[in-house]
Amino acid sequence: MLEVKGFSAGYQGNDVIHDLAFHVDPGEAVMIIGSNGAGKTTLFRAMCGLLSPSSGTVLFEGDDITGLPAEYIARLGMKFVSAERHLFPRMTVQENLLLGAYPGKPDPETISGVMDLFPRLAERRRQHAGTMSGGEQQMLAVGRALMSRPRLLVLDEPSTGLAPLLAQEAYQALGVLRERGLTVLVAEQQVPLAMAFSDRGYVLENGFIRLQGTTEELAANPGVRSAYLGVT
Amino acid sequence: MSNRPTDMSGTSLIGGAEVRSSRPLPVLLIRIAAVGAALALAPLWLGDSRVLMGVAVLGLAFVCYTIGFNLIFGSTGQLFLCVGALAGVGGYGAAILADRVGLSIVASILLATLAATFTGGLLSFVAVRRSLGVIFTGIVTLIFSLSFEALVLGLSDLTGGDTGRLIDSGTDTFLRDRIPPYYVMLALVLVFLLIHGLLRRSHIGWAFRALRDDEVAAELAGVDVARYRVYAALIGAAMLGLAGSTYAFTEGRISPTTFGFGEVDVVVLVMLAFGGIGTLFGPILGAVVFTVLDEVLIEFGQLRVVAYGILIIALFLWMPRGLIPTTASLWRRVRGLEGSSAAKSTDSAARNLKAVSGESQSPE
Amino acid sequence: MTANILDGIVLGLQFGLLAAGLTLVYGLGGVLNLAYGQMAVVAAIVISLAMDAGLPVFPAVAVGLLAGGMFGLLLDLTLLRPVYRRRDEARVLLSLLLTLGVSFIVDGFLVWRYPLEALSLHIRGGAIEILGVPMRRGSLVASAITLITFAGLYVFFQRTTLGRAVRSVIEDEEGARLVGIYPNRMLRLILILSGVLAGLVAVTRAMITPVDVHSGLSITVFALIVTVVGGLGNVAGALLAGIILGIVNVIAADLIGSYISLIILLGAAAVTILIRPAGLLGVKE
Repeated sequence: MLEVKGFSAGYQGNDVIHDLAFHVDPGEAVMIIGSNGAGKTTLFRAMCGLLSPSSGTVLFEGDDITGLPAEYIARLGMKFVSAERHLFPRMTVQENLLLGAYPGKPDPETISGVMDLFPRLAERRRQHAGTMSGGEQQMLAVGRALMSRPRLLVLDEPSTGLAPLLAQEAYQALGVLRERGLTVLVAEQQVPLAMAFSDRGYVLENGFIRLQGTTEELAANPGVRSAYLGVT
Repeated sequence: MSNRPTDMSGTSLIGGAEVRSSRPLPVLLIRIAAVGAALALAPLWLGDSRVLMGVAVLGLAFVCYTIGFNLIFGSTGQLFLCVGALAGVGGYGAAILADRVGLSIVASILLATLAATFTGGLLSFVAVRRSLGVIFTGIVTLIFSLSFEALVLGLSDLTGGDTGRLIDSGTDTFLRDRIPPYYVMLALVLVFLLIHGLLRRSHIGWAFRALRDDEVAAELAGVDVARYRVYAALIGAAMLGLAGSTYAFTEGRISPTTFGFGEVDVVVLVMLAFGGIGTLFGPILGAVVFTVLDEVLIEFGQLRVVAYGILIIALFLWMPRGLIPTTASLWRRVRGLEGSSAAKSTDSAARNLKAVSGESQSPE
Repeated sequence: MTANILDGIVLGLQFGLLAAGLTLVYGLGGVLNLAYGQMAVVAAIVISLAMDAGLPVFPAVAVGLLAGGMFGLLLDLTLLRPVYRRRDEARVLLSLLLTLGVSFIVDGFLVWRYPLEALSLHIRGGAIEILGVPMRRGSLVASAITLITFAGLYVFFQRTTLGRAVRSVIEDEEGARLVGIYPNRMLRLILILSGVLAGLVAVTRAMITPVDVHSGLSITVFALIVTVVGGLGNVAGALLAGIILGIVNVIAADLIGSYISLIILLGAAAVTILIRPAGLLGVKE
């Protein structure tokens, strides 16, 4: 579904990520793990149109979307939930969700589906997004992205700023979505969470992909274990 | 104290030429003298016509205004949209002091200049204290401008209101003759140029440039941004007040339009933008060109305003640095030299300091 | 006193409408449109010329509003292109200067070409009594139109998808993009809307006092004052500030004098900037 080749991007002429290549097949849950500053955010921003890549291609469902603006890509069925979430703080939960289906309006099934998944959002329907807690905001961000029934959901560090319990809840919700057929690509610093959730993964270090494989393979890899799983 | 770094990106619009501060003092003096000599010749052509000499005197007044504005805006990035009003404090102040209070002309000019200086300094102080950015500074000073105009119109007993007032003091002096006022204003111009030139070469000038280019870096380098901004405003406002009051006595009559926003501020902005914001001789170039242009176009009446509008747009779109710096860099490029190395080093120094202070770059 | 307050409300509604267009464009696009007064004047002159040419009132007004919208569109397509390439303060500054230039071009041209043209919309009928005060019909119709306009704006922004989309760009531009909203298109829409609002300003004002080619600057100044006091980017704030300042203006003009009341209004804006730059209803940074 998503294919990235030879992808490089950065800021002010300096590339942060170099010549990356990976893919996500329909129905998969793929993770990109790495520590802070590895380039995960840069990768996703460039992939989803918020940043211009310096080289490489991004193919989504066969179409070349390299370098296209974020607002165009968002309408193609690939939705990006960034680490900062970028909610609309002075608009209500309801309004945030409604806009998720822009330019149309979400159909009732989708709305109830999201509400079932995140009951707390239903309760806080009329609350301003800016006044909600971190966990609720994360739910809202994901919920908003789902309103347009995307085929691929890209999440940048969904566990950011969440207490461990909430982070697990978040991944549980993602798991449910997976069962319903959603394809997910997630970047994560908290590797155990990502591993419990994903089928396959790539390890990003200093802007390069160092390793790739199934979750089992990566979990067994001694380098990964020492660097990311705290096993000596 | 303004600790919050105001985004100076607004002033990136105006750039401003970097001075090669190693230029020796005699060169500066010679250049000023040359300009003075050139301008001193003007009465040879125009001296017979009282009208044309009046235009020339006004032109020199505008040179003074532009130098003052250049010092405030060009040097320290404070968008003072009250040039006319500050000059008006000088003009109306001096006129009222001389005619109503009975002070001598010199005393009136001095006191009025002091008032203008204080006002300018106060405006700057308030702006700095409240960390007003370029835009809000502009709006606040615009408000002052409009308020001053309204005040003048309102206190019509004192100021002559809409129709203005004739100034009795000095009617018998040389100030009202045809040619002497020109040299009086020219003297002011040369003094202002000298002051500005000396400032640029001094520590104060360095501080000005530093804080204009990158406020955060300047603070880190030990420049008290607030203080230097107020200094610039004080000196600039003094120039404006002095020019305004002196001009008032040479002209013999003043009205709200003599010091109005549309008549002074906008014109000064265009003159400075054309000549080169932050340069030393830019104001002269701008003021001379536009005074001449205005006279030439006078038969077109209102269409001149259209021309000004087009010029403002063209200037700020394509030549925001003004004619002098733009042609200077074009010239350098033609001759195969790199862009101003002084500018480059200050820019990169500023960038380095920014990086060190941990400011993140926006990823766009 | 009641008369003053009612007159103040009438004036205040005018002020609010004035500020609405300006504040919307600033809130969404970070653009300060100093040619706003000229947009209103252009609409007024177009309507006046249309009526001179024989067009009945309503079609003429429609043409005028269209002209206002076109002006906004033109600004978006031409001058604002380089403005959009900049961010934050540089953007506001450049937009300020360029629109100032535009205001000169339009003002100079209109004064040169149609120096005597003015728009005056006379509402037939005598005065109507409100709370014991006889109010001119023109004032009442103008106020009604203004209120309806604000109601319409409210419905648009709160209840329609497009309106919500516009608000979302003001809230978080990147978030809006991630949802598939094109910020530039929204800005274009708002610029056209502000032009139409400027036209409405001309129309309602013309019911109270003639709008001539020289009105441009004062319209812009008042719009700026009310916008600043109400909060840059806040339409409700514009309405609230407008009404308050309108009442203050009328009372002060009555008690002290019209020049001083102008200074008071200007002072109010200055005080707002100094004490609470976010304005009455703006969001504190």
